[in-house]
Amino acid sequence: MTSAVYFCDNKGKAILSRRYKDDIPLNAIDKFQTLLSDMEDETSVIPPCIAHNGIQYLFIQHNDLYVVALASSLGVNIAEVFAFLHKVMDILAEYLKTVEEESIRDNFVIVYELLDEMMDFGIPQVTDAKMLKKYITQKSFKLERASKKKRNAARPPSELTNSVSWRAEGIKYKKNEAFLDIVESVNMLMTQKGKVLRSEILGSVKVKSRLSGMPDLKLGINDRGIFTKYLEGNNIGVNIDSSHPDLKDNQSSITSSKSKAKSSIELEDLKFHQCVRLSKFENEKIITFIPPDGDFELMNYRLNTAIKPLIWCDMKVQVHDKSRIEISCTARAQIKKKSTATNVEIIIPVPDDADTPTFKYSHGKIKWVPEQSAIIWKIHTFPGGKEYAMTAQMGLPSINNAERPKFRRPVQVKFQIPYFTTSGIQVRYLKINEPKLQYKSFPWVRYITQNGDDYTIRLS
Amino acid sequence: MAPLDKKIKKFLKNTIRIAPKISDKGELAELRTGLVSQYPQTRKDAIKQTIKQMTLGKDVSTLFPDVLKNIATNDIEQKKLVYLYVMNYAETHPELCILVVNTFVTDAQDPNPLIRCMAIRTMSMVRVDKILEYIETPLRKTLQDDNPYVRKTAVICVAKLFQLNQELCVELGVIEDLKSALGDENPMVIANSIAALTEIYSLDESVVDLPNLIQTNTDKFLSALNECTEWARVTILTALSEYQAADSLEAQNIIDRVTAHLQHVNPAVILATVKVIIRNLPSIDGAKRDLIMRKLSSALISLMSTPPELQYVALKNIRIILEKYPEILSKELRIFYIKFNDPLYVKIEKIEIMIRLVDPSNLKQCTLLLNELKEYAMEFDIEFVSRCILGISQLAIKYADERFIQKVLDILVELLEPGQDAIKDSCCEAMCNILRHCPTNDAMCKQVCSILNSWASPVTSLQKDTAKCNYVWLMGEYPQYFPGLSDKIDQFVENFTQESSLTQVALLISVVKLHSTLSGNTLQTVLELATHDIMEVDVRDMAMIYWRCLSLDDSSALVEQLCNLHAPVINCSIDSFTPEVLERLLGQLGTISSIYFKPMDHSKHKRLQHQNIIRGKHIDELQNLAKNELESKNNDDILLDFDSESVATNTTGNPQNNNLLGDLDDLFDFGPSTTSNSTPTGDITSGLAQTTLNDTNSASKPSNTTATQDLVDLF
Repeated sequence: MTSAVYFCDNKGKAILSRRYKDDIPLNAIDKFQTLLSDMEDETSVIPPCIAHNGIQYLFIQHNDLYVVALASSLGVNIAEVFAFLHKVMDILAEYLKTVEEESIRDNFVIVYELLDEMMDFGIPQVTDAKMLKKYITQKSFKLERASKKKRNAARPPSELTNSVSWRAEGIKYKKNEAFLDIVESVNMLMTQKGKVLRSEILGSVKVKSRLSGMPDLKLGINDRGIFTKYLEGNNIGVNIDSSHPDLKDNQSSITSSKSKAKSSIELEDLKFHQCVRLSKFENEKIITFIPPDGDFELMNYRLNTAIKPLIWCDMKVQVHDKSRIEISCTARAQIKKKSTATNVEIIIPVPDDADTPTFKYSHGKIKWVPEQSAIIWKIHTFPGGKEYAMTAQMGLPSINNAERPKFRRPVQVKFQIPYFTTSGIQVRYLKINEPKLQYKSFPWVRYITQNGDDYTIRLS
Repeated sequence: MAPLDKKIKKFLKNTIRIAPKISDKGELAELRTGLVSQYPQTRKDAIKQTIKQMTLGKDVSTLFPDVLKNIATNDIEQKKLVYLYVMNYAETHPELCILVVNTFVTDAQDPNPLIRCMAIRTMSMVRVDKILEYIETPLRKTLQDDNPYVRKTAVICVAKLFQLNQELCVELGVIEDLKSALGDENPMVIANSIAALTEIYSLDESVVDLPNLIQTNTDKFLSALNECTEWARVTILTALSEYQAADSLEAQNIIDRVTAHLQHVNPAVILATVKVIIRNLPSIDGAKRDLIMRKLSSALISLMSTPPELQYVALKNIRIILEKYPEILSKELRIFYIKFNDPLYVKIEKIEIMIRLVDPSNLKQCTLLLNELKEYAMEFDIEFVSRCILGISQLAIKYADERFIQKVLDILVELLEPGQDAIKDSCCEAMCNILRHCPTNDAMCKQVCSILNSWASPVTSLQKDTAKCNYVWLMGEYPQYFPGLSDKIDQFVENFTQESSLTQVALLISVVKLHSTLSGNTLQTVLELATHDIMEVDVRDMAMIYWRCLSLDDSSALVEQLCNLHAPVINCSIDSFTPEVLERLLGQLGTISSIYFKPMDHSKHKRLQHQNIIRGKHIDELQNLAKNELESKNNDDILLDFDSESVATNTTGNPQNNNLLGDLDDLFDFGPSTTSNSTPTGDITSGLAQTTLNDTNSASKPSNTTATQDLVDLF
């Protein structure tokens, strides 16, 4: 169990602390700064846990902060500690918007209060932002209504310890609506020749619930695990293919898999928000839940499938006369004609010392960002099936021998494709049932596909 | 008009704030004036200001009485602030807290559950045994409170009380209440009771029979599991992982009932579930086992899309699980491919997993991985690149096919293109390891030697001790492929005294071995240097023995015999755990020990008690003490930058020492702390496991050091 949580600045000096157990010396945290810098001197591999003098320093980084949990025993559940620290940051973000040194310093009272409520004696307690907000109210809000609040003093909501600990009773909306957002992030690693080395889809179903009372929701999606009973013998979906799809041969892979997938797909690694009845899902494969109020992520999933690149960039790099580099890039939106990719950004690394760029391009905007040693090509809208090209020439002052400049970073592509999911996941229905109020309600669904944090093309 | 007038007046009174007076008495005086102001808002602001100073590390304990005046209020926020202040000083100035004891007792009966909780929570933190005596009634009451929120706080207070004063806690008999709280209707109360009992158990095993409690309450835990918060689930699952199922039927039942939690969004819940399943897995077999394995595998993979710190924990745990169940992730190599923006510590762990995961009978997979590693080896960071190169050699030895190994060598040569000095170290080690895997392949030896021989000055271009050691060993092993050998050796000898012991020993051995081909001078110099200028006992002894052997009359035969031994063939350069360590680690998944691969010994691990409670004083005596302290502080009433540390030492000096000693003890408890010098030569793997144990942070190091080490041990 955690003995103390500290917020430290970017050097590792403590700003604010909350001690939960009395088993570590008060000055243990002072060592953290030196430990960190000693370690940095020695190696570039700095794991998120450091042991010193029998005290474990477990830390995460967030903006310019180190959030450090101290523990005195090797038996402490480290997964819990890290999960908790990340949760703390999420919740602070709900209260403070951006969590950084400055905002922590300005809001230490609220931070203390939250730390006090979220953990007791090193055991995580209540970490549901919506419920916390019921009884730990923002300072500014408090001040305005100090006189009112007096009579109506904050109490822990009784739901807090109920089995539905994430939703308060008596919520009311004039219009009852639920919005579903299905966001798929595609991670893909490709070689310059177009071979896909690794691809995965990380999906997330986000819900914004504006529903009165205690509604019970039932979500139907076309997941195969869920629908096998009804659609027997339909085991197609997007199969994991160990052989790499060749670009040319698989021109239609997306559309075909999409049309197949219309009937059913198989989602892997489904993960649910705590409101989903896990045992019900395990036994009957039905997703049922009483939603928290407002925004939350209902579930996420991962699909480990071989897919064709959605945005493909054909890169050519040539070094001329030892002093000039020419980069050409042909980008193609390999999606259905009726879909459109938006906010496409292609980030092409260039040698650190390259300068004096000249660009030729047909669409979008290009700029050279020397701080990142990259050129960024932005295309606002990129309709499916289109192909755009650009070339860039840059000077290379310090090339001395015929050695080719090395590209140690890959080309990164960012994009969004609205109204489209790569996996073919579809919401079949969202049934909303509030036993007492029996109101009419409106479910809305949106789909979007975007790049994940690793959609890259290696330059060799 | 009168009521309105009254209202306005009241409003003004409540909201008005007085600007703090700048007084020449210093900041403390200002705060004090604020704290006793007649306007509530001003008072509140002053408390906040006080807390701010406290946070910044200034000693504001002299304001204690003034802050305390504000505790009797209906404004819950103000009350919270005061409690915050009190709680902070509960630790460092326990005697001051005696002044609040009455408020604690009243607040513990407040109609607002929040206040009841705050009172009891703070009270159980004050290290004065007289206060602790007051705690009896409120604690008993809150343990039976109607409100589960209060009960869940109260059960934890029992553990806090136990930590502060064991005898009292036992005397009050609240531990019995705690045990009965395991049968509470509220799952969160159950979870917190488990946590509290676990804590008490870790402090003193004789007080509660935790394993037995878990054993008898398993059903209750399983049913509470579905209805509580994520953290409560972690606690319950952790308790369940200690449970020994009676038979395979029960084990299957437990697995069935927890499996759903593999789909929880919280990674800690997933890992705790994995732990329960792994615990029960040995008694399951057949098709059911395969099904469970598939679910486990998918859960482990899903941990790869969490924040990096959690990925790190997951990767470390996967490494443990993989060793017990090597088949578990066999089809999932690609998940562990490195993303270019992964932090380095995650990248390195991913390589560790990939090397272990790859199936040595699958050429396609091995080639894929080889190409990946080659790609990674062209990155920036030298440490990472070194790990990749070592990984490449590990892969070659694992696949163990001469054509494949040749390919690996070609890649290494390619990586070693001109200008890449920094990777020479790891390439040298990698090549030597490969040669030690297939010592009979003459062509390959020739190739490697000629590459290494082409390096202009190995003494300076090689940085790492292990690399130099390997280089010297290679010269001794294949002198025929090193034209200009004596020059090279002389270069090393010149530097002899500055090298570290590994290289020195290797050099000594090689020189003795080659003494017939080298000029007699070299041998003489090395032996003299080693016996006179070197402080390292091992090196000196070894030199001494060689010298004596050489000066015997018929020395040549003896030396011949000594030098003709060959280093054992390396068949596996991937380190593994000993079976015993592995079993223990499997039982400790998710804990810090699983990160260091350093299993914790439950029976030996007992934290020392803090005996720093203020004891045996009467209340009025304490009150006097408090007053005196305040007065003496008041005399130097300037808000200096009191280092909170120096103030704290009075009360906490004691535990610090205790802690330190205790932890030293801990350190020595783990594993055999033999230095690797005495590692037996033949059995590489066991030697590796040992070093892994002794090594806390760099799990990647041991493999090469030990491999190199037994080059030396050979003699």
